[in-house]
Amino acid sequence: MGWLSAMSVRLVGESPAIVAALTAQGAALVDEGDADVLIHVAAPTLAKPAHELSHAEWRASLYAGLDQRFMLAKEFAAAQRALGKGGSVVFVGATEQALGSDHAAAAGALGNLTKTLGVEWARDGIRVNTVLTSADDATLGNLVAYLASDYAAYITGAVMGIGLDD
Amino acid sequence: MPVPSHHIIATPPPFNEPPYPADVFAGQTVLVTGGGSGMGLAMAMAFAQGGAHVAVMGRDLEKAQVAAARIAELGVKAHGMSCDVRLPEAVAAAFDEAERILGPVSLLANNAGANFPVLAEDISVNAWNAVTRIAIDGTFLCSSEFARRRIALGEGGAIINNSAQYIWTGFPGDAHSAAAKTAQATMTKKMARDWAAYGIRVNAIAAGFFPHESSTAGRREGGTESLQNMIPAGRTGSIWEFGWLSAMTCTPLLGALTGQVIVQDGGESLRRSLMMPDFVPPRERAEGPWGWR
Repeated sequence: MGWLSAMSVRLVGESPAIVAALTAQGAALVDEGDADVLIHVAAPTLAKPAHELSHAEWRASLYAGLDQRFMLAKEFAAAQRALGKGGSVVFVGATEQALGSDHAAAAGALGNLTKTLGVEWARDGIRVNTVLTSADDATLGNLVAYLASDYAAYITGAVMGIGLDD
Repeated sequence: MPVPSHHIIATPPPFNEPPYPADVFAGQTVLVTGGGSGMGLAMAMAFAQGGAHVAVMGRDLEKAQVAAARIAELGVKAHGMSCDVRLPEAVAAAFDEAERILGPVSLLANNAGANFPVLAEDISVNAWNAVTRIAIDGTFLCSSEFARRRIALGEGGAIINNSAQYIWTGFPGDAHSAAAKTAQATMTKKMARDWAAYGIRVNAIAAGFFPHESSTAGRREGGTESLQNMIPAGRTGSIWEFGWLSAMTCTPLLGALTGQVIVQDGGESLRRSLMMPDFVPPRERAEGPWGWR
């Protein structure tokens, strides 16, 4: 029996640690279509000083770190509502100050978006949480799997890290 | 009002399906302060579900012993004892007693606390001292005693602190606890840093509303049924899901987790809107959450 047995998970982005934990906890990973869980992992952006960032680079970071996440979550929540099912969303990324100002903006926005969506969708049974960390290890995988599962049924709108500098 | 029937409520698995193996803490001993009832007892039960032996510490020896007997039914060794966590010598003696009977304490759950709704101007010096020092000094004294022993043994360990969801917002009508619980959360982060090199992890749960038989809400007339709809999640917390998260942070499954304050409150601390009911100062509220005077 795993935390996610009989549950399907759509993972967007790359993280071998998260894949390993999801699989170990019995989740079925799906690329498209209905899923009980949406996990979005944003790849780290280049760490450049603000005055060296082009607007195109800025936009790309904000898209990957914020806009795309919102749109995917919105789409996921709409699909779950249509099915009359709850679900959970977990966003994963680097800590706010770890990279450039583009990432700082996106990660800060994402944190407060998480708190907002967690409440806005609470009575749809859809939970929304975020892990901002420099860790990419078994703890990250297990934490994300736990947050995705019903064991975290009372955790929503939470933003957390893993290590001392998160 | 009851929760409308078309709302979907996320619920945890039942108590007998903990999220970790029954031997995840095998051979280890946890000391739980304020473990005789309520959230502390829930922490103690959760550690016992992972196979830890449990030292249950409380102000009331008899209550701690009754709790220990309940915990032992889960198949672990449990020992009830009394201690005032504000007194360093008493804390050291309690660790001695726990270790003599159960072996080295490698896990610590700081739950001891007192709390009651009261207007700030009505908080006596004694009440202020009791609430703040049990949580603030108690957490410091128990954690530092624990750490000194682990460091002397050359072994790591894990600490979990029971903080509260109102640590970021203040808690009008509960000034002593608002101060105390935030102190616990901020010391969590610094102690995690102080002891990282020794393999001692320190985390906290910013807990929401988990009614139990000894909480103010638990004793409320009419029970807690009418409180479910005020939480965004559509329910108050189940005491065992708090216990599980507390114990989870101490497992090797989350072996890199340290310095974190994890909020578990069903969205309670986040509910707000542009338009809200008129503000009424706590003093002028005809009824507080459960009546001011």
